[in-house]
Amino acid sequence: MQIPIGIPDVDPLPLPGPVWLFKFLLLFTFTLHLVAMNCALVGGAAAALNALRGRNPLHPFSRRLAAELARMLPTLLALTITLGVAVLLFVQVLYGNLLYASSILIAAFWLSVIALVMAAYYGYYYFEAKHGATRGAIAAASIAVLCLLSVAFIFSNNMTLVLTPARWLAMYRAHPNGVNLNLAERTLLPRYLHMLVGAVAVLAAAVCHMACHRLKKEPEYGGWLLRRWSLLFAAASGVEILLGLWFLLALPRSVALYLMSSGLGATVFGLGMLGGLAAMMLILVGAQTRRPAPFVHAGFGLTILTVALMVGLRQLVRTAYLHPYAQPESLATAPQTGIILLFFALFVLGLATVGYILLLLARAKKRAGGTPIQAAGG
Amino acid sequence: MNYPVWQLPFPGGILIALVAVTHVFVSHFAIGGGAFLVLSERRAYRERDPALLAYVRKHSRFFALLTLVFGALGGVGIWFTIGLVSPEATSSLIHTFVWGWAIEWVFFFVEIVSAIVYAKSWDKLPARDHLIVGWIYLVAAWLSLVVINGIITFMLTPGNWLQTKRFTDGFFNPTYFPSLLLRTAICILLAGAFGLVTVGRRTSVERDKIVRWAAQWMVLGALLLPPLAAWYYHSIPEFSKAYFSGRLPAAQHIARGGIAFAALALLVALVFGVWKPRWMRMPQILVLLVLGFGVIASFEYLRELVRKPWAITGYIYANDVRAEAVERYREAGMLKTAKFLLSEDPNSAAYGQNIFVIQCGKCHSIDGERAMRPRVRGWDAPFASDMLAHLEVTRGTMPRFAGNEQDRAALGRYLASLNPAFALNASAKEAAGGREVFETRCGSCHTIDGPFRPLKNALRGAAAEQIEALLPVLDSMSPNMPRFSAPDSQAHALAAYMAHALAEAPDKEGR
Repeated sequence: MQIPIGIPDVDPLPLPGPVWLFKFLLLFTFTLHLVAMNCALVGGAAAALNALRGRNPLHPFSRRLAAELARMLPTLLALTITLGVAVLLFVQVLYGNLLYASSILIAAFWLSVIALVMAAYYGYYYFEAKHGATRGAIAAASIAVLCLLSVAFIFSNNMTLVLTPARWLAMYRAHPNGVNLNLAERTLLPRYLHMLVGAVAVLAAAVCHMACHRLKKEPEYGGWLLRRWSLLFAAASGVEILLGLWFLLALPRSVALYLMSSGLGATVFGLGMLGGLAAMMLILVGAQTRRPAPFVHAGFGLTILTVALMVGLRQLVRTAYLHPYAQPESLATAPQTGIILLFFALFVLGLATVGYILLLLARAKKRAGGTPIQAAGG
Repeated sequence: MNYPVWQLPFPGGILIALVAVTHVFVSHFAIGGGAFLVLSERRAYRERDPALLAYVRKHSRFFALLTLVFGALGGVGIWFTIGLVSPEATSSLIHTFVWGWAIEWVFFFVEIVSAIVYAKSWDKLPARDHLIVGWIYLVAAWLSLVVINGIITFMLTPGNWLQTKRFTDGFFNPTYFPSLLLRTAICILLAGAFGLVTVGRRTSVERDKIVRWAAQWMVLGALLLPPLAAWYYHSIPEFSKAYFSGRLPAAQHIARGGIAFAALALLVALVFGVWKPRWMRMPQILVLLVLGFGVIASFEYLRELVRKPWAITGYIYANDVRAEAVERYREAGMLKTAKFLLSEDPNSAAYGQNIFVIQCGKCHSIDGERAMRPRVRGWDAPFASDMLAHLEVTRGTMPRFAGNEQDRAALGRYLASLNPAFALNASAKEAAGGREVFETRCGSCHTIDGPFRPLKNALRGAAAEQIEALLPVLDSMSPNMPRFSAPDSQAHALAAYMAHALAEAPDKEGR
């Protein structure tokens, strides 16, 4: 196939592993990254809002939730970044030539992502240090959320731009200094909103999940959480479905046809819709029952599964868009089998090490532990 | 060539250097600091020293805030930046080392988890378990260096990878081990320097002990540097060593600067840390941090500088053009090969400027960093075009020009337009004007009696008239020599200067 001018040639070096493996790792790590990102982003907004509401003594639960979220936010953001690094690694392997080009077109914004995330990170740390209890802390969390919303918008820009190489040359000639954005893209707004509202739903499901654990020891607080957040989850899921339809309708006809004609696309789409609806029903109904835990936990699990399905659908959309320009399946490969095995062995060892650290924490929680210096007899 | 070029007001390479140097400053602290924390904590338990333990606890919070956020995101920042400035080289690295990076990611993950737990679990974990988490952090952090070091050193010394394209051949390359140990020494040095940041202001015996302890780390790191730097120097390629022997004065200056930073850091740490810890106040601590930054910045900048003209030695040039693709680009021309040209009229000034941005802009600006305007003073288009044909043999060793004659002429016209005025100062002595002509016309490839292609032996004893007679036939004397196209007045001044300078130059015996 003659590659039209404006699309960089693929790297002459072969891929160091099978395409399916890179795809699997890309989609797997992206799903985890999304879940963490959803909680970090919307968790910040929820923390700021509840902290604000909690300043009124009539709303102690809001203050409590803000303080709980405050403790989690820096770790959630750390997890988001760490998982995002893996996604960035694998997407470069499969789509590097396209991703580098589109990133260069929006370079100024793309690079600002680092500063924005850093600002958000320090904002969350400040919020945590103040237990979300001061005006300054609320302001810091709000700024952090604005930074992360900007990051999400820049990502939506780049991830849509990467799909439309035909625009690149004109865009580059208009602004070779990297200050472009992909604002003319029809799918940009529905895609961005779809991501954000989806994030609200995921956090809401996670809070409902957390609420079930609180119910045993603190039934009032747990019940309050479950009532509010199950409704929010249902509302966000409903809006999410509408936004998803808007996104689908905004797709170019050729892409939509390619997607739905494959069978796989229609199946993943259908399963995703079903998963979302089922999760909505489970959590809504569960919240009204005496023993909500089984329903809510299942709803939360289904929500994560739905995210995974949506990630798969997103990949199919990408494949449909890029079909005329890039087909990773056709790339030459020369698998570095020994190094791949070493990676998986170390990955298991790494997980075991993290598990061991968590075990140490759990063990310490069980027994009443003094400070280390006391424990050491100092 | 393959990608659009992000047009910045300064060379893109500078952006990479800025992001990279600030990141490595913190990331090396993240490794050394891990060792410092865990060994300090262990010492506090052994000596039953609550003051030291309280300090370690405080330092761990500072450590987490700096390394988890700035350090971790700085690493992502390097990825973003190299992808924007040098996508071709980045792609080559990813295609070769993606599994190496994946392994590093595992260590990074463990590092992040253990750092968070270490900083947050002082009141939750018993001492033994808390120390274990610290050790886990230290091992994971150092192992991430073990991995990333292979990828970084590969760029200067890819070793047998150039032939085999095998992961291990590129990874365990000639500078791998010296670089690993050198970086480890820098980690130790920076651990001590950053360790002083949190010692507090109130003078006490306990504070003195902590200051001395941190300073001892700096001393150890600084003392390890000379032998390891020497080992590293002996492992780098011959073409890189040549830069230190006068070919590239900047390399000598930066190397001297790095040595001076390390020596001063040692001195300050010994005097204000080990000998008189009470004298260690915030200004001295800031000086030590600056010196520590100077040490690592010198090392990183030198490593990049002496790789010139390569991004990956022997494989991809610093301007992101693959060596094996140059001939194709020379035959086909940029109109057919460059994917993101801003102008497609080879006769326009914009076309020449665009070629400059694509092929030269990663390292050169017009008036700022490595400015071209003074370098091309008085050049005319034919001379500039001839120079472009032989960039790889110039004193600064540049990437081969990757375009056809039409492209070369266009860039030549553009370069010649930058600083065409060259009037010999009539009031100055003829030799002074001739020296300027020598610098702009000959200095890129020759010296009179310096270390790089000296002319003194070939032309010793030549009269000004004889030299002037050679100038019109320069390009027939060697295929690498450009046409001498300057006006007669400049030729005359140049010949007079050279005859004078050659007569003054000492011969081999130093007479």
